[in-house]
Amino acid sequence: MMRFIGLIVVTLGLGTLAAAASAADGEQVFLFYCAQCHGTGGKGDGPNVTKFLPVSPRDFTDAVEMNKLTDAHMAQVIRDGGPAISKSAMMPGWVDTLNDEEIAVLVTHIRKLCDCPGKQE
Amino acid sequence: MKPLMSSLVVPVIALALAAQAQADPGAGAALFNDQGCMECHYTEGPSKEKTIDDQLAKTGPELWYAGSKFQMPWLVAWLQDPQPIRPLKYNSINEPNPENHPALGPQEAADIADFLMGLTSDVVETGVIEPKKKDRKARLLFAKDQPCGACHQYPAKRKVKGGLSGPSLVGASARLNPDWIYAYLLRPEVFKPIKMMPVFRNVLSEEQMRQIAAYVAAFK
Repeated sequence: MMRFIGLIVVTLGLGTLAAAASAADGEQVFLFYCAQCHGTGGKGDGPNVTKFLPVSPRDFTDAVEMNKLTDAHMAQVIRDGGPAISKSAMMPGWVDTLNDEEIAVLVTHIRKLCDCPGKQE
Repeated sequence: MKPLMSSLVVPVIALALAAQAQADPGAGAALFNDQGCMECHYTEGPSKEKTIDDQLAKTGPELWYAGSKFQMPWLVAWLQDPQPIRPLKYNSINEPNPENHPALGPQEAADIADFLMGLTSDVVETGVIEPKKKDRKARLLFAKDQPCGACHQYPAKRKVKGGLSGPSLVGASARLNPDWIYAYLLRPEVFKPIKMMPVFRNVLSEEQMRQIAAYVAAFK
Protein backbone atom coordinates (compact mmCIF):
# COMPACT_ATOMS: atom_id res chain seq x y z
CA MET A 1 0.00 0.00 0.00
CA MET A 2 2.77 2.39 1.00
CA ARG A 3 4.62 1.57 -2.21
CA PHE A 4 1.47 2.38 -4.20
CA ILE A 5 1.05 5.72 -2.40
CA GLY A 6 4.72 6.44 -2.96
CA LEU A 7 4.29 5.80 -6.66
CA ILE A 8 1.37 8.24 -6.77
CA VAL A 9 3.38 10.89 -4.96
CA VAL A 10 6.34 10.49 -7.31
CA THR A 11 4.05 10.57 -10.35
CA LEU A 12 2.28 13.72 -9.16
CA GLY A 13 5.62 15.31 -8.39
CA LEU A 14 6.93 14.63 -11.86
CA GLY A 15 3.69 15.93 -13.34
CA THR A 16 4.09 19.21 -11.46
CA LEU A 17 7.68 19.57 -12.58
CA ALA A 18 6.68 18.90 -16.17
CA ALA A 19 3.94 21.54 -15.99
CA ALA A 20 6.31 24.12 -14.52
CA ALA A 21 8.89 23.46 -17.22
CA SER A 22 6.47 23.62 -20.13
CA ALA A 23 5.68 26.75 -22.10
CA ALA A 24 2.92 29.04 -20.87
CA ASP A 25 -0.53 27.94 -21.99
CA GLY A 26 -2.20 30.87 -23.76
CA GLU A 27 -5.72 29.64 -23.14
CA GLN A 28 -5.06 29.05 -19.45
CA VAL A 29 -3.43 32.48 -19.03
CA PHE A 30 -6.39 34.06 -20.84
CA LEU A 31 -8.99 32.26 -18.73
CA PHE A 32 -7.21 33.10 -15.49
CA TYR A 33 -6.43 36.79 -16.02
CA CYS A 34 -8.44 38.14 -18.96
CA ALA A 35 -11.75 36.26 -18.93
CA GLN A 36 -12.95 38.00 -15.75
CA CYS A 37 -13.67 41.03 -17.97
CA HIS A 38 -13.40 39.78 -21.55
CA GLY A 39 -15.33 36.53 -21.00
CA THR A 40 -14.18 32.96 -21.41
CA GLY A 41 -14.89 33.10 -25.15
CA GLY A 42 -13.46 36.61 -25.49
CA LYS A 43 -16.75 38.25 -26.42
CA GLY A 44 -16.30 41.03 -23.87
CA ASP A 45 -18.89 39.53 -21.56
CA GLY A 46 -17.03 38.49 -18.39
CA PRO A 47 -18.61 38.62 -14.93
CA ASN A 48 -17.20 42.10 -14.30
CA VAL A 49 -19.32 43.53 -17.10
CA THR A 50 -22.01 45.01 -14.89
CA LYS A 51 -23.96 48.23 -15.29
CA PHE A 52 -21.26 49.89 -13.20
CA LEU A 53 -18.41 49.19 -15.61
CA PRO A 54 -17.92 52.47 -17.49
CA VAL A 55 -16.63 50.83 -20.67
CA SER A 56 -17.24 47.66 -22.65
CA PRO A 57 -14.29 45.29 -22.74
CA ARG A 58 -13.13 44.62 -26.26
CA ASP A 59 -14.87 41.78 -28.10
CA PHE A 60 -11.98 39.65 -29.32
CA THR A 61 -14.26 37.71 -31.67
CA ASP A 62 -14.91 40.82 -33.76
CA ALA A 63 -12.54 40.04 -36.63
CA VAL A 64 -13.14 43.37 -38.39
CA GLU A 65 -12.03 45.41 -35.39
CA MET A 66 -9.29 43.00 -34.35
CA ASN A 67 -7.81 43.08 -37.85
CA LYS A 68 -7.14 46.80 -37.38
CA LEU A 69 -4.65 45.98 -34.62
CA THR A 70 -1.12 44.67 -34.92
CA ASP A 71 0.19 42.00 -32.57
CA ALA A 72 2.67 44.54 -31.21
CA HIS A 73 -0.19 46.90 -30.38
CA MET A 74 -2.03 44.16 -28.50
CA ALA A 75 1.10 43.24 -26.56
CA GLN A 76 1.58 46.90 -25.62
CA VAL A 77 -1.97 47.21 -24.29
CA ILE A 78 -1.62 44.01 -22.27
CA ARG A 79 1.73 45.18 -20.89
CA ASP A 80 0.94 48.84 -20.18
CA GLY A 81 -2.86 49.03 -19.99
CA GLY A 82 -5.54 51.07 -21.75
CA PRO A 83 -4.13 54.53 -20.94
CA ALA A 84 -0.94 53.69 -22.88
CA ILE A 85 -3.00 53.92 -26.07
CA SER A 86 -5.41 56.62 -24.81
CA LYS A 87 -8.04 54.04 -23.91
CA SER A 88 -9.77 53.26 -20.63
CA ALA A 89 -7.90 52.73 -17.36
CA MET A 90 -10.34 49.91 -16.68
CA MET A 91 -7.87 47.85 -18.71
CA PRO A 92 -4.92 47.60 -16.31
CA GLY A 93 -1.31 47.11 -17.30
CA TRP A 94 -0.03 43.61 -16.60
CA VAL A 95 3.66 44.50 -16.84
CA ASP A 96 4.37 43.43 -13.26
CA THR A 97 2.17 40.35 -13.45
CA LEU A 98 2.89 38.64 -16.77
CA ASN A 99 6.25 37.90 -18.34
CA ASP A 100 7.04 38.39 -22.03
CA GLU A 101 6.33 34.75 -22.83
CA GLU A 102 2.91 34.87 -21.18
CA ILE A 103 2.05 38.06 -23.09
CA ALA A 104 3.18 36.46 -26.36
CA VAL A 105 1.02 33.35 -25.87
CA LEU A 106 -1.90 35.58 -24.89
CA VAL A 107 -1.63 37.47 -28.18
CA THR A 108 -1.55 34.14 -30.03
CA HIS A 109 -4.63 32.93 -28.14
CA ILE A 110 -6.55 36.15 -28.82
CA ARG A 111 -5.75 35.77 -32.51
CA LYS A 112 -7.37 32.35 -32.33
CA LEU A 113 -10.47 33.92 -30.78
CA CYS A 114 -10.85 36.41 -33.62
CA ASP A 115 -9.62 33.90 -36.19
CA CYS A 116 -7.88 36.78 -37.89
CA PRO A 117 -4.23 37.53 -38.73
CA GLY A 118 -4.36 41.15 -37.58
CA LYS A 119 -2.84 44.20 -39.20
CA GLN A 120 0.62 43.43 -40.48
CA GLU A 121 3.48 45.55 -39.15
CA MET B 1 -10.60 4.37 9.42
CA LYS B 2 -13.42 4.29 11.98
CA PRO B 3 -11.14 4.28 15.02
CA LEU B 4 -9.35 7.29 13.51
CA MET B 5 -12.64 9.15 13.08
CA SER B 6 -13.62 8.32 16.62
CA SER B 7 -10.32 9.59 17.90
CA LEU B 8 -10.97 12.87 16.09
CA VAL B 9 -14.60 13.23 17.09
CA VAL B 10 -14.14 12.55 20.79
CA PRO B 11 -11.78 15.47 21.41
CA VAL B 12 -14.15 17.80 19.50
CA ILE B 13 -17.06 16.80 21.72
CA ALA B 14 -14.87 17.10 24.78
CA LEU B 15 -13.75 20.55 23.74
CA ALA B 16 -17.30 21.62 22.99
CA LEU B 17 -18.47 20.44 26.39
CA ALA B 18 -15.56 22.16 28.05
CA ALA B 19 -16.33 25.41 26.26
CA GLN B 20 -15.32 28.44 28.27
CA ALA B 21 -16.12 32.09 27.79
CA GLN B 22 -12.46 32.81 27.06
CA ALA B 23 -11.03 31.92 23.66
CA ASP B 24 -8.37 29.24 23.59
CA PRO B 25 -5.94 29.26 20.65
CA GLY B 26 -4.72 25.74 21.47
CA ALA B 27 -8.27 24.47 21.32
CA GLY B 28 -8.75 26.55 18.18
CA ALA B 29 -5.83 24.84 16.44
CA ALA B 30 -7.21 21.41 17.32
CA LEU B 31 -10.69 22.40 16.19
CA PHE B 32 -9.30 23.77 12.94
CA ASN B 33 -7.86 20.36 12.16
CA ASP B 34 -10.75 18.33 13.49
CA GLN B 35 -13.39 20.30 11.61
CA GLY B 36 -11.60 19.72 8.32
CA CYS B 37 -10.79 23.38 7.74
CA MET B 38 -7.43 22.28 6.30
CA GLU B 39 -9.22 20.75 3.33
CA CYS B 40 -9.70 24.25 1.90
CA HIS B 41 -7.31 26.49 3.88
CA TYR B 42 -3.60 26.09 4.61
CA THR B 43 -2.13 27.76 7.66
CA GLU B 44 1.61 27.32 7.25
CA GLY B 45 3.43 29.98 5.30
CA PRO B 46 5.04 31.06 3.13
CA SER B 47 2.68 30.90 0.18
CA LYS B 48 3.52 27.95 -2.03
CA GLU B 49 1.81 28.62 -5.36
CA LYS B 50 4.14 28.95 -8.34
CA THR B 51 1.82 28.29 -11.28
CA ILE B 52 -1.78 28.94 -12.26
CA ASP B 53 -2.40 25.23 -11.74
CA ASP B 54 -1.17 25.57 -8.15
CA GLN B 55 -3.63 28.39 -7.52
CA LEU B 56 -6.51 26.60 -9.24
CA ALA B 57 -5.91 23.52 -7.10
CA LYS B 58 -6.93 25.51 -4.01
CA THR B 59 -10.55 25.52 -2.88
CA GLY B 60 -10.28 28.36 -0.39
CA PRO B 61 -7.98 31.21 0.58
CA GLU B 62 -4.71 30.58 2.41
CA LEU B 63 -4.87 31.61 6.06
CA TRP B 64 -1.24 31.53 7.18
CA TYR B 65 -1.32 35.34 7.60
CA ALA B 66 -4.93 35.57 8.84
CA GLY B 67 -3.86 37.43 11.97
CA SER B 68 -2.29 40.15 9.84
CA LYS B 69 -5.22 40.34 7.46
CA PHE B 70 -8.37 40.22 9.56
CA GLN B 71 -9.85 41.96 12.57
CA MET B 72 -10.68 39.66 15.48
CA PRO B 73 -14.27 40.82 16.24
CA TRP B 74 -15.22 40.48 12.58
CA LEU B 75 -13.65 37.02 12.36
CA VAL B 76 -15.48 35.73 15.44
CA ALA B 77 -18.80 37.03 14.09
CA TRP B 78 -18.20 35.82 10.54
CA LEU B 79 -17.33 32.28 11.57
CA GLN B 80 -20.73 32.08 13.26
CA ASP B 81 -22.61 33.64 10.36
CA PRO B 82 -20.44 33.20 7.25
CA GLN B 83 -21.98 35.51 4.67
CA PRO B 84 -20.22 35.37 1.30
CA ILE B 85 -17.32 37.76 0.76
CA ARG B 86 -16.79 36.75 -2.84
CA PRO B 87 -19.79 37.05 -5.16
CA LEU B 88 -18.40 34.12 -7.16
CA LYS B 89 -17.09 30.72 -6.13
CA TYR B 90 -13.40 30.69 -5.19
CA ASN B 91 -11.24 30.40 -8.32
CA SER B 92 -14.28 30.54 -10.59
CA ILE B 93 -15.65 33.26 -12.82
CA ASN B 94 -18.69 31.31 -13.93
CA GLU B 95 -20.25 29.93 -10.78
CA PRO B 96 -21.88 31.92 -7.98
CA ASN B 97 -20.55 31.56 -4.46
CA PRO B 98 -22.17 28.35 -3.17
CA GLU B 99 -22.50 29.96 0.27
CA ASN B 100 -21.61 26.67 1.89
CA HIS B 101 -18.99 27.73 4.46
CA PRO B 102 -19.77 25.90 7.72
CA ALA B 103 -21.12 28.03 10.56
CA LEU B 104 -19.59 27.54 14.00
CA GLY B 105 -20.96 27.97 17.47
CA PRO B 106 -19.86 30.94 19.61
CA GLN B 107 -17.15 29.08 21.55
CA GLU B 108 -15.76 27.27 18.50
CA ALA B 109 -15.70 30.55 16.57
CA ALA B 110 -13.87 32.32 19.40
CA ASP B 111 -11.28 29.56 19.72
CA ILE B 112 -10.61 29.21 15.99
CA ALA B 113 -10.49 32.99 15.56
CA ASP B 114 -7.99 33.16 18.41
CA PHE B 115 -5.87 30.52 16.70
CA LEU B 116 -6.06 32.27 13.30
CA MET B 117 -5.27 35.69 14.75
CA GLY B 118 -2.00 34.22 15.98
CA LEU B 119 -0.93 33.51 12.39
CA THR B 120 0.85 36.62 11.17
CA SER B 121 3.27 37.81 8.51
CA ASP B 122 6.22 39.96 9.50
CA VAL B 123 5.95 41.67 6.11
CA VAL B 124 2.94 43.60 7.41
CA GLU B 125 4.26 46.69 9.13
CA THR B 126 1.90 47.84 11.86
CA GLY B 127 0.58 51.35 12.43
CA VAL B 128 1.25 52.62 8.90
CA ILE B 129 -2.27 53.06 7.54
CA GLU B 130 -4.99 55.14 9.15
CA PRO B 131 -8.42 54.67 7.52
CA LYS B 132 -9.48 57.82 5.67
CA LYS B 133 -13.03 58.07 4.39
CA LYS B 134 -13.07 61.33 2.52
CA ASP B 135 -10.08 61.51 0.21
CA ARG B 136 -10.81 62.79 -3.28
CA LYS B 137 -7.44 61.69 -4.67
CA ALA B 138 -7.88 58.18 -3.32
CA ARG B 139 -11.44 57.99 -4.63
CA LEU B 140 -10.29 58.93 -8.11
CA LEU B 141 -7.42 56.46 -7.92
CA PHE B 142 -9.70 53.66 -6.76
CA ALA B 143 -12.63 54.14 -9.10
CA LYS B 144 -11.31 56.03 -12.12
CA ASP B 145 -7.55 56.05 -12.62
CA GLN B 146 -7.21 52.40 -11.63
CA PRO B 147 -9.67 49.57 -12.25
CA CYS B 148 -10.18 48.49 -8.61
CA GLY B 149 -13.94 48.87 -8.90
CA ALA B 150 -14.03 46.84 -12.10
CA CYS B 151 -13.46 43.66 -10.09
CA HIS B 152 -14.36 44.55 -6.49
CA GLN B 153 -17.73 45.58 -5.08
CA TYR B 154 -17.53 48.70 -2.93
CA PRO B 155 -19.94 51.02 -1.12
CA ALA B 156 -20.96 54.17 -2.96
CA LYS B 157 -23.71 56.56 -1.85
CA ARG B 158 -26.36 54.21 -0.50
CA LYS B 159 -25.65 51.45 -3.00
CA VAL B 160 -23.04 48.90 -3.85
CA LYS B 161 -21.11 49.31 -7.08
CA GLY B 162 -18.37 47.32 -8.74
CA GLY B 163 -17.51 44.07 -10.45
CA LEU B 164 -17.82 40.50 -9.31
CA SER B 165 -14.59 38.58 -9.87
CA GLY B 166 -12.73 39.76 -6.77
CA PRO B 167 -13.66 39.65 -3.11
CA SER B 168 -16.12 42.36 -2.11
CA LEU B 169 -14.64 45.34 -0.30
CA VAL B 170 -17.96 46.26 1.28
CA GLY B 171 -17.40 46.23 5.02
CA ALA B 172 -13.61 46.28 4.69
CA SER B 173 -13.42 48.70 7.62
CA ALA B 174 -14.58 45.94 9.97
CA ARG B 175 -12.98 43.00 8.17
CA LEU B 176 -9.49 43.98 7.07
CA ASN B 177 -6.42 45.26 8.86
CA PRO B 178 -5.59 48.59 7.13
CA ASP B 179 -1.87 47.80 7.27
CA TRP B 180 -2.45 44.48 5.52
CA ILE B 181 -4.24 46.19 2.62
CA TYR B 182 -1.15 48.32 2.04
CA ALA B 183 1.22 45.37 2.43
CA TYR B 184 -0.88 43.39 -0.04
CA LEU B 185 -0.67 46.16 -2.64
CA LEU B 186 3.05 46.65 -2.00
CA ARG B 187 4.19 43.02 -1.88
CA PRO B 188 1.40 40.80 -3.22
CA GLU B 189 3.83 38.00 -4.08
CA VAL B 190 4.29 37.33 -0.37
CA PHE B 191 0.60 36.64 0.14
CA LYS B 192 -0.76 35.52 -3.24
CA PRO B 193 2.03 34.78 -5.72
CA ILE B 194 -0.49 33.78 -8.41
CA LYS B 195 -3.74 35.74 -8.50
CA MET B 196 -6.22 37.27 -10.92
CA MET B 197 -5.52 40.80 -9.69
CA PRO B 198 -2.72 42.70 -11.42
CA VAL B 199 0.43 43.62 -9.55
CA PHE B 200 0.65 47.41 -9.25
CA ARG B 201 4.31 47.71 -8.26
CA ASN B 202 5.39 49.88 -11.17
CA VAL B 203 1.95 51.35 -11.77
CA LEU B 204 1.28 53.00 -8.42
CA SER B 205 3.72 54.82 -6.18
CA GLU B 206 4.00 53.68 -2.57
CA GLU B 207 2.24 56.89 -1.57
CA GLN B 208 -0.65 56.09 -3.90
CA MET B 209 -0.84 52.56 -2.47
CA ARG B 210 -1.06 54.03 1.03
CA GLN B 211 -3.84 56.38 -0.15
CA ILE B 212 -5.84 53.51 -1.66
CA ALA B 213 -5.28 51.31 1.40
CA ALA B 214 -6.51 54.05 3.74
CA TYR B 215 -9.52 54.68 1.51
CA VAL B 216 -10.48 50.99 1.27
CA ALA B 217 -9.91 50.58 5.01
CA ALA B 218 -12.75 53.05 5.61
CA PHE B 219 -15.34 51.18 3.50
CA LYS B 220 -18.50 50.44 5.48
